[in-house]
Amino acid sequence: MSGIGVSLLQIGLDLNSIFYVVSLLVFVAYGLYAPRIQVWFALNEIGRGLTRLKVMKDKARKETIDYLTTTGKASGDPTERVDQFLDYITIMPVDIDPNGIVGKIDHVVTTRDERVRQEVGTIVGDKNPVTVSVSENLLEAATALNTIHKIVRHFYLLGKKTSSYFMLVQLQMLMPMIIQEADALVSAVDTFKLAQPLGDGIGAVIASRYMVGREKQTIAKDTVLAVNEYKGRKLYVVKAEGPMAYVGQPGVGIRHVIEEMGVKPSAIIMIDAALKLEGEKTGEIAEGVGAAIGGIGVEKYQIEEVAAKHKIPIYAVLVKQSILEAITAMRKEIAEASDKVMTLLNRVIEEKTKEGDDVLIAGIGNTLGVSQ
Amino acid sequence: MISSRSVVEKKVKYTVFTIEECPVCGQKTKREFQPGDYVTKDGAKCTKCGNQTRISLIYAETAKPPK
Repeated sequence: MSGIGVSLLQIGLDLNSIFYVVSLLVFVAYGLYAPRIQVWFALNEIGRGLTRLKVMKDKARKETIDYLTTTGKASGDPTERVDQFLDYITIMPVDIDPNGIVGKIDHVVTTRDERVRQEVGTIVGDKNPVTVSVSENLLEAATALNTIHKIVRHFYLLGKKTSSYFMLVQLQMLMPMIIQEADALVSAVDTFKLAQPLGDGIGAVIASRYMVGREKQTIAKDTVLAVNEYKGRKLYVVKAEGPMAYVGQPGVGIRHVIEEMGVKPSAIIMIDAALKLEGEKTGEIAEGVGAAIGGIGVEKYQIEEVAAKHKIPIYAVLVKQSILEAITAMRKEIAEASDKVMTLLNRVIEEKTKEGDDVLIAGIGNTLGVSQ
Repeated sequence: MISSRSVVEKKVKYTVFTIEECPVCGQKTKREFQPGDYVTKDGAKCTKCGNQTRISLIYAETAKPPK
């Protein structure tokens, strides 16, 4: 028996009793301090995530400044203007009375987009529309990352200050999704800089196949229309104007075709990228009905309104992809889905319309690297 | 102990390729992406029939560039 054991026996204790008492104390201490221990773990994990977010937002900011300076050939140092822009705020309209709110949101968002383009124009001039549009997208990615970082930091510091267990645990649980989204945004920066087509541009790729070699006309801001024919049907094809990084105004464009040009389509067919669920394969195609368009909801509302008013059915063709795949260079699986989408689209046209009908096809998504 | 795990996908190196397609004979040529490439842009002359090709696709894949 060791010297310590002998000494303990001398005072009437053995090792087993000691271990028993210590484990009892640890158990009671854990019971009393468990939330504090959890807070400590949560703070550590969020802290690590916050550091990653800071690295990402700094990278996006630096890449944006580098692009504006080198490719955009900014006349002066754009750092100060970029930093000012990172904190640019868009105040959404009041929604206590939701009547007419879509128009108000449209107005605010349009004003914001114009302001961004004006700001970029001031820095790089309007020499090359692709450079201007890429700069706009880079600024938006950097702004989004800056906002994500600021919000996470706010709740981290607030949770730390108040030792709020529930606030920190909620943030800790959300961190993987937040990091995933931030990682997608920072990966998008490289794709934007090289002006490569994004996964989100699959709708634009399909539309461009019907438009190539045809006369184009501008029907809304950054949105073009071409007319083609397929098996006796007249196709009115709408997409954002490429190869710039535009999403256009398909809602305004479709309304223009129907209400101002007087076209009476038998069907509206929309092709867009859709976020896949975990377990679904990239490039899977889904067919359905309804307006296939993301965003804040303004365009979707406009399309639904005009379609409902004129009783035009809307058909949707979706190509599945993750958020990362949607905003980075188009993956092979998505690109290769384009032939299958064309086959499906032609089948929908043949089944849902008849010879002599007009059909409106809208390729939705960011059209970077995809002309028409 | 409550904890969460990062779900960020492992970084995979992608190479971006440009596909030039001949609108006459359908011959497809794959090459590495060059800055300035965009879908519908005119490509090189078709190696099979000599007609003007057009860029039909640009995509990223996890593969080594063609030799």
